[in-house]
Amino acid sequence: MSPPFDPRTHQGRLPSPCTSVCVMQPDTGLCQGCQRSIDEIIGWSSASEDRKRAIWLTLLARRAAMPAGGASGEPQP
Amino acid sequence: MTAAMMKDATRDVTRDVTRDITKGAAAAPVDATAPGGFALPPTMQILERGWLSSNNILFQGRDDTALVDSGYAIHAAQTVALVRHALRDRPLDRLLNTHLHSDHCGGNAALQAAYDCRTTIPAAEAAAVRDWDQEALSFAATGQQCARFTFTDTFTAGDLLQLGDLRWQALGAPGHDPHSLILYCAEARILISADALWENGFGVIFPELDGASGFAEAAATLALIATLDIGLVIPGHGAPFTDVRGALARATARLDYLAADPVRNAQNAVKVLLKFLLLERQRMPLADVPSLLSQMRLFRESNTRFLRQSDDAVAQWAVAQLRRVGAAAVEGDLLVNRDLP
Repeated sequence: MSPPFDPRTHQGRLPSPCTSVCVMQPDTGLCQGCQRSIDEIIGWSSASEDRKRAIWLTLLARRAAMPAGGASGEPQP
Repeated sequence: MTAAMMKDATRDVTRDVTRDITKGAAAAPVDATAPGGFALPPTMQILERGWLSSNNILFQGRDDTALVDSGYAIHAAQTVALVRHALRDRPLDRLLNTHLHSDHCGGNAALQAAYDCRTTIPAAEAAAVRDWDQEALSFAATGQQCARFTFTDTFTAGDLLQLGDLRWQALGAPGHDPHSLILYCAEARILISADALWENGFGVIFPELDGASGFAEAAATLALIATLDIGLVIPGHGAPFTDVRGALARATARLDYLAADPVRNAQNAVKVLLKFLLLERQRMPLADVPSLLSQMRLFRESNTRFLRQSDDAVAQWAVAQLRRVGAAAVEGDLLVNRDLP
């Protein structure tokens, strides 16, 4: 098994957080699958690696704060 | 053939699906800037999507706006939201599709409803779209959904298009899809490659599954791309990339590997069809997998022509392959999607 994904120690370019569950939630303004905001999704492709790492850490915190079973898709990238 | 290419060509087939599913996210050389230090023209924006939805490329020129490819149908609301947010108060004037697979044109209907935009499709698909011939359009054959849309005009290989105040040439890119077009901008040195070239591979060579030719066409498409002066490739899926030579070498080695034994192409297609189904549903009863797969004409063709086993046996094999590479897991009676790290 490969070690779990950690944006702080990840080697190489950071992968897209997209989980292919691409639905914006009106109540949170976040994507149901990846927990990114619309600005974070639009800006992903042109973001620096530092910015991508910051987005990853933010959305992992959002996912961790979600009630159990509240996430659709996988909690891992 | 280089040693690296030999290694690539002889590697275990079970790893292919990982590469296909991650679509270039892994194994890329480290590059500190995005995308690859290449400065994108200010009139262009890449909406990088995932595996189920293709990337969308947005152009905001002085006089008009345009979008190339619209993602998958079940993501259409997000596609419209992303485009609306990026365009702010501007309308979307024009929508173009590189090819009419459901992950590239599934958002067309919603965008047309939102914007009443001019819609330009490959000329070879005009009759199929006009009559909404779902078999000819590949949706039924792959078990995928696509809301019905209309078109206003067509484009074909050799056509010049003005997008984002830049001049783009449409090039024929058969192989993955016989009618696919890709877009090249010489002045900006950018190629919009659709599913003809990814950072690590290319889309399934579908025509071969039906007994038609696809490998030779795909090879010619890669050879055509190799003649272009390209600084950045914007693929249909995955991050934009700058190492075009590396991508072409990997794609050529993989194509040689698949063409050497078409059973490999059929095996890969079955795994990709199952993964697409799983991404769409996220979870489904294990017991439903054989019947869901056998409803797809391309699954049946792959099995009849190349794999030659019972549908149940092929379905079981495909499930095992996805589990083995970490692309799926079994939870009780359910097959559950797993995202690859």
